[in-house]
Amino acid sequence: MSITDTNRLGLPNLGLGVGLRSKHYSHLMQNDPVVDWFEIISENYINNFGYGRHVLEHICAVRPVVMHGVSMSIGSTDPLNLGYLKQLKELADFVKPVWISDHLCWTGVAHLNTHDLLPLPLTLESLQHVSDRVNQVQDILQRPLILENPSTYMEFQSSTLHEWEFMTELVNKTGCGLLLDVNNVFVSGFNHGFDPEFYIRNIPHKAVVQMHVAGPTDCDTYLLDTHDQPVPTQVWHLYKLAQELTGGVSTLLEWDANIPEYPELVAEVQKAKQVMQGYIPEVPVHRTPYVDAVSNPVDHQVQITHD
Amino acid sequence: MTELANIQRWLTSIIVKPGALNDKIRLADDYYNLDNSEVVQATLRQTSAQKIEIYARGYILRLMECMEAEYPAVCKLLGEELFHTFVRAYLIEQPSTSPDLYDLGKNFATFLKASQPKNTEQSNDFDLPVELAILERALAEISRVKGLEGRTVKPNYLNDLLYLFDTTNIQASPGLILLNLSWPLAGYVKAVYQTQEPVIPGKKDSFLAVSRNHYRINFQEIEQWQWCFLQSLQTANNYTEAVRIAAEQCAIPQDTLMADLILWISVALNFGYIYKNE
Repeated sequence: MSITDTNRLGLPNLGLGVGLRSKHYSHLMQNDPVVDWFEIISENYINNFGYGRHVLEHICAVRPVVMHGVSMSIGSTDPLNLGYLKQLKELADFVKPVWISDHLCWTGVAHLNTHDLLPLPLTLESLQHVSDRVNQVQDILQRPLILENPSTYMEFQSSTLHEWEFMTELVNKTGCGLLLDVNNVFVSGFNHGFDPEFYIRNIPHKAVVQMHVAGPTDCDTYLLDTHDQPVPTQVWHLYKLAQELTGGVSTLLEWDANIPEYPELVAEVQKAKQVMQGYIPEVPVHRTPYVDAVSNPVDHQVQITHD
Repeated sequence: MTELANIQRWLTSIIVKPGALNDKIRLADDYYNLDNSEVVQATLRQTSAQKIEIYARGYILRLMECMEAEYPAVCKLLGEELFHTFVRAYLIEQPSTSPDLYDLGKNFATFLKASQPKNTEQSNDFDLPVELAILERALAEISRVKGLEGRTVKPNYLNDLLYLFDTTNIQASPGLILLNLSWPLAGYVKAVYQTQEPVIPGKKDSFLAVSRNHYRINFQEIEQWQWCFLQSLQTANNYTEAVRIAAEQCAIPQDTLMADLILWISVALNFGYIYKNE
């Protein structure tokens, strides 16, 4: 295997973690979390002072927490939403996260929000635009921003850079970190016909701070990032490669729809240990004949929770 | 406008606007002077339009799930098909402009009300889903407000009945929501939340208090005088004055109301309708 470098922007390898989801609040208030760390969806807790915030406070006291956002819209040509960034910083003051991440995407323009992670044309114009905004955000948050590669379902003809090239240049220009979602690389690789291993070999490994694994859905002519299934074999293979190339970084299992009970969730992320020992689970990609599968499911964000 | 900005406006308009996909694409192509087949790279498996469709369809499905999560009782009452029709229309009329999904459904009750047919004899019955939406939105709001939790509560205060003689600091709880509805809907919503088959109640003036205490969300139908007292306490912020106003509103003697309060006030404390400000 190639030479590894474990810089990670000086940030720690937190081990194996899961997303904090309302379905597991009650379990987590009464039981040991078992996993090494948690990732929260930042927007779930901004302006939320109910039971969810109470559970978050408890989790912050017992495990490291990372804040992962879906609404920064770093690629949008709308002005940065300074109100949102202020709220994000306030939440960070409460959570004291090990790092803050979001996605290389835009969520809308003209003040509309699609609540989706929309793809950018990967051009020099986009690169300069996103770099300027990442620098602004890093100045506001007073910390490096960690950006995740999204699953995408379209590529723009005007693109002059591959995504791994775009990510590399972005890291060079801004010093930001990367959240490498190996499932997203798998999904986008299938959808656009690139080799996901080539992608992973050609990102700046030193800048990778965290990885995501998840289970997508095969919709016949494309793969969809549904976060509602066990991690398939192909994604575990990519995960192993990426861990070896980066020297080992924090790993998080994303599961946002059809969320299993907590012990099953933990068992799924623990498979990562076996994978690193060479035992890759035989799990096919889930197939669906239905057209109503949803990428980036977000309804868990608005479910009312109470003790 | 830069090329990036133009492409973003083009794609957003296709995703968010109503209509058949091909029509939306053609309109956006014309308006933004773009050709979708030259903007989006087609592959052997999918045309550019099919790739755009993944995002356009996902937008509606994703936000539909959010509305179902916030308004399960309205969905149950209307049935999925009609509920989805209203939500689609709502998303077209009021697309999200907030990074916070919590804001997505905040105007749904108002939208439902505005969508009612005008000048029909049945119009009052159309208020049932509107009022359900008002109640479900109240539940969403109470679940997130800064509540009583974390405030210092006087030790043994609930047990020693001191509140009977020391009412000066009694206040309405932060976030307390009072609803005056035309149907008693608490039972319907509770049944839906407990995945039981709900029964549509008969029309009857209903006074509802929505509160939170120790992170437990409470919503109960209460007596009119109790409701008036709590509402007066919210506005007057003074126990004695609230008693006076409520007695006047309900046309009952003040001393009668005060006597009733002595029996009820511990309940109000337990449900988190009121608290004693230290």
